[in-house]
Amino acid sequence: MVSAKTVISAPTGLHARPAGELVALIKSFEGSVVKISTAARSVNAASMLSLLSLGLKAGTEVEISVEGGREQEALDAVRSFLETLA
Amino acid sequence: MKVSGPAYLWTPRSGPFDPHPGAPIPHSGSPIPHPGAPIPHSGLDPESPGCSLESLNCHSERKRRISFSDAFDAVHGELSSLANGTESSDVYAAHLAMLEDPMLREAVEANIASGMSDSEAVDAACTGICAMFSEIDDEYLRARVDDVRDIFRRLKDALGGAADSCSQYPPGASSILASRVIRSAENLSAAAEGAHGGHSSHICSAAKPVIVAEELLPSDIAKIDLSSIAGIICHRGSSTSHVSIIAHAHGIPIQFGTDISGIAEGDIVTVEDSMVGVSSIAEQVRSAGRKVYVNAGSIEDIRAAIAAGADGIGVFRTEFLFMDRDSMPSREEQRSIYRQALEICADKPLIIRLLDIGGDKAVPYLKMPREDNPFLGLRGVRFGLAHPELYEVQLGAIVDAAMDVPGSRPRIMIPMVSTVDEVRKVKEMFLVILSEAKDLPLGIMIETPAAVLDAEALAAECDFFSLGTNDLTQYIMAADRGNSAVGDLYDPMSPAVRRAIEMTVSAAHSSPRRTSGIPVGICGELASDPRATAFLLAAGLDSLSLSRL
Repeated sequence: MVSAKTVISAPTGLHARPAGELVALIKSFEGSVVKISTAARSVNAASMLSLLSLGLKAGTEVEISVEGGREQEALDAVRSFLETLA
Repeated sequence: MKVSGPAYLWTPRSGPFDPHPGAPIPHSGSPIPHPGAPIPHSGLDPESPGCSLESLNCHSERKRRISFSDAFDAVHGELSSLANGTESSDVYAAHLAMLEDPMLREAVEANIASGMSDSEAVDAACTGICAMFSEIDDEYLRARVDDVRDIFRRLKDALGGAADSCSQYPPGASSILASRVIRSAENLSAAAEGAHGGHSSHICSAAKPVIVAEELLPSDIAKIDLSSIAGIICHRGSSTSHVSIIAHAHGIPIQFGTDISGIAEGDIVTVEDSMVGVSSIAEQVRSAGRKVYVNAGSIEDIRAAIAAGADGIGVFRTEFLFMDRDSMPSREEQRSIYRQALEICADKPLIIRLLDIGGDKAVPYLKMPREDNPFLGLRGVRFGLAHPELYEVQLGAIVDAAMDVPGSRPRIMIPMVSTVDEVRKVKEMFLVILSEAKDLPLGIMIETPAAVLDAEALAAECDFFSLGTNDLTQYIMAADRGNSAVGDLYDPMSPAVRRAIEMTVSAAHSSPRRTSGIPVGICGELASDPRATAFLLAAGLDSLSLSRL
């Protein structure tokens, strides 16, 4: 398992549209289980509803962890997605 | 507003916890679970939904329903074509992604497997998934729950669910709770005949049930036909919630903060509306010769509060001016807002709180550093002093507005103060701006244990205090208010917090600044809790700032 921390930078947070894009991105990494955790909760990031229910607003620190498949590649992709979110 | 009726115990996860597993449920479709559906509640027989129709024949002539699986495919098709369309395709693509979340389908199918009708299963899954959103502290993101509801509404429509309400229920109201309300009423023999004939008024007048719930979310109350119930009792929630507003809009009394564990189905219970509590708070406060203020977070709030007869605004939160934008609001822009606020308040006190951000309340363009423990980090005045340009502009705008409105005297409040030094620094900043223009009262929020313990020294520096009991409770009890595991500790009426309130009042009233000391109010949620009013008045608070009036 690999993991990394990042902060949600998008001013409006991770709302529905980017969350959908993130789910699609994660689905493209077959065999990888991606989890996103806040201080409060950890969810399977392939679940759109779980992801949205985290309420990831601007400034929230999250930990991304990936298990299985192309772990590092998936981790980098998810992190870069979250960090470049506008 | 006091009403009584038989208790109807309600729970959002009505599948496994259905209080009436064998009771009649309006149902006409085939309840066969989707092949391969997970059956987590394996103790329950998925083949026996326990439905009977004879007592609810108004449901028997529903339009033919399709199975959940077919409904799902239909909605999937609908959303797919919308997502590929031109208008709002982003939104529908997101809705499609939500629909495709395996969690949604699994939740519905598990409910069906546990014996619910398809329609009930969809409702229960909706409630369950919506509940996941209830703890989000960002209003915008929490509002995504509406998207979730929208998807479930499509599923219900596809199931024919929208049609399965009896004529007495408003079109579009979902049936799950409404049907149970009928059942509950049926338990009272008087109602049974009315249900047969579909003449709901007989049910209603016979004995309307009282919904008893641990907590109701807005999505839950949307499922209740409010015309067929007498009232609502909740353990959790507050009289300022949307649920409360909706209930009141329908004239339904709703009571919060009641331990419901001792209430059994069918018990005759009495609902005493919590808002009556709020108006009785105002009455008690005024008859004790103290002031009734209201908290405001926008110009509209101020207008509503003054129109409702508030004696003033106990805290005008200014964060809204800074949120949802790309740059800081200019002095001119702020000035116009403060001017409007002062004009509405006229001769009534207006306490403007300086920007209270940092920690969990982020403003993107201010480049706030990441913190491991934001509640103990750079927030409130700490942030303001670290970015003096913020407070300088804001203080300047308040002074400008005060000059614009002759005779006005806005009171300025510093948030999150821990030390006398912080107050002095803001004061210095303020004096530079003020020059000789105007002398405006400067006070502080008391919301850290440090401020309570050093309240005497602070009282010598300030013109007023206002107790922010939400944060104060959290800090004194060292219990995160959002963490339900320590929810019992987060009690603003615990002896330690009450002692802190008393210490603060005593320090304020013995301030050397005036013979009678400086005024001290409270603007935390505790002020709106009728159970605390007697204590707060006895403690000597000069004003209670309520969530609304």
